[in-house]
Amino acid sequence: MSGPLRIKDIGLREGQRLTSLDAEKLIPLPPPYDSTDEYPVFKELKPEAAERMMCNLDGVVALSLPHPESPEHEQELVDQFAEGLRKLFTKENNWTFLQPLTLALEYCVGCQTCSDACHVFKASGEEIYRPTYRSEVWRRLVNKYVKKGGKLMAPLTGADVDLNWTTISRLYELAYRCNLCRRCAQVCPIGIDNGLIAHELRKLFSQELGWAPRELHENGTVLQLQVGSSTGMNQVLVKDNVEFIDEDMTEETGIEVTTPWDKEGADVLLIHNAGEIMAWPENPGAFAIVLNAAGIDWTLASEGIEYDGVNYGLFYDDVQLARIAIKHVTAAKDLKVKRIVMGECGHQHKAIMTVADRVLTGELRGVQRESCLPLLEEIVFSGKIEFDPSKNDFPVTLHDPCNIVRNLGIVEPQRRILRYLCPQFREMTPHGVDNYCCGGGSGFAVMSPNNFTEWRVGVAGRMKFKQILDAFADQPGPEVQKYVCAPCSNCKGQIRDMLQYYGALEKSGITYGGLVELIVNAMVDVKEPFIKWEMH
Amino acid sequence: MSGPILLAVCYGLLAVFVAAFVVRSVRIARLPVHLRWELSPIPKEKTRGRYGGSYLEEYEWWKKPREESLVSELVYMLKEILFLKALWEHNRRLWWFSYPFHVGLYLLVLAAAVFVLGSGAAAVGLTGPEWGILRVWLPVVAGAGYVLGALGALGLLVSRIADPKLRVVSTPVAMFNLALLLAVFVTGAVAVSTVTGVVGHALTFGKALLTAGPMPAMPGILAWHAALTLVFLAYLPFSQMMHFVAKYFTYHEVRWDDEPMKQGGSMEREVQQLLDQPVTWAAPHVGADGGKNWVDIATQEVPR
Repeated sequence: MSGPLRIKDIGLREGQRLTSLDAEKLIPLPPPYDSTDEYPVFKELKPEAAERMMCNLDGVVALSLPHPESPEHEQELVDQFAEGLRKLFTKENNWTFLQPLTLALEYCVGCQTCSDACHVFKASGEEIYRPTYRSEVWRRLVNKYVKKGGKLMAPLTGADVDLNWTTISRLYELAYRCNLCRRCAQVCPIGIDNGLIAHELRKLFSQELGWAPRELHENGTVLQLQVGSSTGMNQVLVKDNVEFIDEDMTEETGIEVTTPWDKEGADVLLIHNAGEIMAWPENPGAFAIVLNAAGIDWTLASEGIEYDGVNYGLFYDDVQLARIAIKHVTAAKDLKVKRIVMGECGHQHKAIMTVADRVLTGELRGVQRESCLPLLEEIVFSGKIEFDPSKNDFPVTLHDPCNIVRNLGIVEPQRRILRYLCPQFREMTPHGVDNYCCGGGSGFAVMSPNNFTEWRVGVAGRMKFKQILDAFADQPGPEVQKYVCAPCSNCKGQIRDMLQYYGALEKSGITYGGLVELIVNAMVDVKEPFIKWEMH
Repeated sequence: MSGPILLAVCYGLLAVFVAAFVVRSVRIARLPVHLRWELSPIPKEKTRGRYGGSYLEEYEWWKKPREESLVSELVYMLKEILFLKALWEHNRRLWWFSYPFHVGLYLLVLAAAVFVLGSGAAAVGLTGPEWGILRVWLPVVAGAGYVLGALGALGLLVSRIADPKLRVVSTPVAMFNLALLLAVFVTGAVAVSTVTGVVGHALTFGKALLTAGPMPAMPGILAWHAALTLVFLAYLPFSQMMHFVAKYFTYHEVRWDDEPMKQGGSMEREVQQLLDQPVTWAAPHVGADGGKNWVDIATQEVPR
């Protein structure tokens, strides 16, 4: 496509890509990642795949949207989209976000202040990734097709985007080029939230057309509601796995580790992201060690979906969000626990603690919900466990999960722990509520279809990888082992993929893990190093 | 146009301004309670607000008193309103135009208040020397407002045309808004600097509006300025320029709304009514049939 990109181009040039990614436009990384050999390669889809699915945005396919079966089917889908667009502005269907969405529709002044705040745009320079590009397409569609007299007023309002198959198929992919980290909203002088617009577009596609990424929907919320966990683990399997972890931890640390299950009336019901149990067993293991050592009255629960704190509904579907949150809290109420404590999972924090807060009515309000971070801080500084910080005497930096830090304001507890237990702790720049997303946010970390991983790691994660390298710039070589602390499952998944993609363990000695692992590593009673300097 | 008709037109435009302003503001305020969507930093958080922390940092936060500071919130707001802090920090290039533009508007709001006061004084016959100060300060404040506003509006307009990243999202309406304001500022500046006895003319006009008295004849440029200002006011509530009202809601009702719902409280009652509404989303997994409400949808067996 030649000439500067216009908003209305989203609906033009059917069958062509709106843009093509250019790896040479990406922000540079420090050595040894600065050579052209290190640039991500955006693979082309295989011809048979390209025939099966839409690939008309940027050459990347996250969603595997099939072509419509016929012109009639195509028109039906376009009409459904238009209907969904209208429903976004009805109180009965979208009371959940009607006010912030209406504000975002009406009052953006187009100052583009948000652009430089977006890690995806900043890393790539691609015009379609500007936070306002997606929003302005949506705004013009609403102005033209939802508002009364919209088509008549279109020449004045600039509502020049045509509603057609090309527009909606591109817009669907484009809704999944934003991590919903809301850094753009944070810097907006008016308070407009482009992340919310991407979120609402995803909702429209899911709740009206039934379109959502397979990893988040069929293999995510649907599987979780059917089986109990988006990992596919049922109650029996999860207990088996945790028992296995307990045995492993006991053997590794010399401390008897047992995880209590379904303990009625416990003070703390700990809910992990079940992905931890599968992919990072040392994390639930470390929690068990710390909670037992501190004498906390705690339990895991196996009822319903209670052993998996994942709630991907947060990213794309209010109905699924509500279903899962209600099940989580109902099971906690039935078990008569005092509180739910979120494990190291950012979106779980945000889903249960704040976003779903106002769908939990009546008796469900009796169950308190708390982050693990203040609890861990309370334990670390309680004097109940003896620590030797010299055991953590290696460079450590902290990644701030957007859903815990920017969105919930939990900033300092984890830092106070790291400043106490990790003598070589250093911040990234920027950090805290100004952090950059890891690039795996909003479900991307579990999405790897087609050629999406290259984009997720090479574009969305590039700013974070640069931040990590910059944080360790004083000791860049592999001879010094370094640790990225990421107290969030999805962030860990993304950081793992980035470190593997660039070979950062071999080239720079960088590995990653959670916070509780560092706490256990510093415990005097744990004789052998708990942190393993390997890619896991 | 005869005097009474002119007066009626002026009243009509002012009535549109007031009515539309109130209706649009109330409409935003009356939108239903939404799910929590707060965003740090929340400045009302005492001490923690400085780094963006919230009450959720507290162990057993529900047992602790909320420590909030109205002063911190006001300081944050004043920095934003008076200095456009967010734009200064994140979009310095645009700030150089946007800041004089907004300061110009603030000065003109101040000048308008003085104008109404002075017109009222003239209407009740207060013409003593103490009111003479108005005649000195009104043109100074208004003149400064017009000049700063014009410079800012011109800069913003040129930026929107010259800067490709601004041009791409600039609609004809957005350009018109700036052009209209530029016309108001320029006519005002020319009137203040060229019309002899401009304050007297203005106050006589204001007195006529307040008393429904005969409309005075005004010098051409001042008449144009008055007409453009009234048209602008009537148009304002229908435009994006209402963002100064919207900003209250985006900050206080969305970004800074971190209040947990209280069991049995008014918010819970409102939420229960909202949950009682029928859902019509069409995707199969939602399972809506037009009759089921949110509670049914969220708690019944999930359709496969």
